[in-house]
Amino acid sequence: MVLLGLLITLLGFVISFLSLGMTTSVNARMIMVLIGIAVSFTGIIGVMNRGYLKNAIWRK
Amino acid sequence: MTKRLLCIPLLIGASFAFAQAPPAAPAAAAPPPAATAITDADLKNVETPKPEVRVLGDPDGSITGNASDITVADAKKGLTVADVLNQIGQNRIGINFTWTLICGFLIMFMQAGFAIVETGLCRAKNANHTMMMNFMVYCVGMLAFYLIGFPLQMGGVGAIGNLGGTAPLNNEVTITLFGKAFGLFGKHGAFLMQGHTYDVGVMVVFLFQMVFMDTTTTIVTGAAAERWKFAAFMVSTFLLGAFIYPIFANWAWGGGWLANLGGNFGLGHGYVDFAGSGVVHSVGGLTALAVAFIIGPRLGKYTRTGKANAIIGHDIVIVLTGCFILAFGWFGFNPGSTTGASGPGNLRIGTVAVNTMLAGMTGGLGAMFYMWLRYGKPDASMSGNGFLAGLVAITAPCAFVNPVAACIIGLIAGVLVCLSVEYVDRVMHVDDPVGAISVHGTNGLWGVIATGLFADGTYGGGWNGVNGNVKGLFYGDPSQLVAQLMGVATLVGFVFSFSFVANWLVDVMVGQRVSAKAELEGLDVPEMGQVGYPEFELKARALGAQ
Repeated sequence: MVLLGLLITLLGFVISFLSLGMTTSVNARMIMVLIGIAVSFTGIIGVMNRGYLKNAIWRK
Repeated sequence: MTKRLLCIPLLIGASFAFAQAPPAAPAAAAPPPAATAITDADLKNVETPKPEVRVLGDPDGSITGNASDITVADAKKGLTVADVLNQIGQNRIGINFTWTLICGFLIMFMQAGFAIVETGLCRAKNANHTMMMNFMVYCVGMLAFYLIGFPLQMGGVGAIGNLGGTAPLNNEVTITLFGKAFGLFGKHGAFLMQGHTYDVGVMVVFLFQMVFMDTTTTIVTGAAAERWKFAAFMVSTFLLGAFIYPIFANWAWGGGWLANLGGNFGLGHGYVDFAGSGVVHSVGGLTALAVAFIIGPRLGKYTRTGKANAIIGHDIVIVLTGCFILAFGWFGFNPGSTTGASGPGNLRIGTVAVNTMLAGMTGGLGAMFYMWLRYGKPDASMSGNGFLAGLVAITAPCAFVNPVAACIIGLIAGVLVCLSVEYVDRVMHVDDPVGAISVHGTNGLWGVIATGLFADGTYGGGWNGVNGNVKGLFYGDPSQLVAQLMGVATLVGFVFSFSFVANWLVDVMVGQRVSAKAELEGLDVPEMGQVGYPEFELKARALGAQ
């Protein structure tokens, strides 16, 4: 799950980065970059963090 | 006759009146006198204090420093125009060297501020260990930066005009994507010798950039305090100083692809981060988050149901003293990032310094009032964190925004740090003893975004090679905000991932966390061999403190 979260986090960066080549519109780039940031945060907070919490030291 | 006598005083009075009146404007504007070229012959007539006058001393300083102090290249020719011009040029670079070095020294002293803030927020049984991490982060980080990090970051930055050129830093590795060159890392400057980088200007750049990097590395020690194995801390810090920080810093400051988003893709002036909200603070804060994930919370921080326990630091006095030391050092951090006090645009240092003060003020007030309203008391440690959060947030936009915007940015940062600390602590269940993730990570990102919103178009002409001043969304340039958001995406998506993988490898090879026995005992003796406060350890235990 942690590895999946890491991949999703990186995917967010890739989405943002690709906005540079896929469009020249400022608005379209802004939307793509914001989507990329949201995906990265989902990877960190929604997936990686949840993965660590499953085996958290305080649950034992 | 009497009338004539009466006229005399009137005429005298009138003549005084005319004498004191401002001169009348000329009927027609006369053409300005033609510029006259100064020749060497003119300089022969410049008077300098005679030796018999100099031996009498100069109590008011009116004759010290004059034409006789200009170095003459050829004694036979005497003083020439070339000598004067060379002296002017060297004075400018000398002022900029002095400014940048002194600001670098101030930033170096921030290490002391970080050390006592973090130590004060930890328990007394970990004081030696926390101080030692903050002490050695300076040495380990510097070694990593000297051996590997500096060439990666600045090896291709090109000439820095304020510092006399730094021409040898001219080798950037690039790849071509979407038809544009993307700078990835530099190659000149290894050991401050390779590629003719044994150069006075390069030395100034190294010192100034090194203390920035060290600030980043010391952020992580706070989030991982009280359970970080010292050996793992050493390796992790080395990797941060050698690779993680320099790569992103190259992209933002070293001529890399983020800095060139303006020139290559028409996104404002490219990624703009004046003194490092993103480069320094977000990189540190996100690395702190990665390490905190891997290392896990301290024993006793959470109950089995996930309820967070407050683990109180042992000395709020040194915490707030440390905040003041950090604020003092920030006057090197932000104004020093002009890398000069003389030359076009460099007098902006006045605005930069004031904006820095104002944002710290509103940050501290914002956090204090938030805590007071929410919990009924003006919490001291969170007020300190709010103060620092304001300073972190203004670090990127400090040169590009006006004082009102600086106040707003700081105020938002002060509230944001409280919300972020609560979220990280209670929702994410990530244990961060000093709030480093929120102060530096969250508010570093806010500072980057704030630049894209509040930059008012009064400064930054030619920034990153793009004509015109830097303008944010509120002043008519949405593309600048896109460039800033691209920086945020890179920090969150790439830098965090890079840091996580690096620290995961450290965990596999060295082990990041101390044993439960050592943690319960306190890390001072198991890790360092000596307690921080031998005389009140017994008293603290007798009182039942943790």
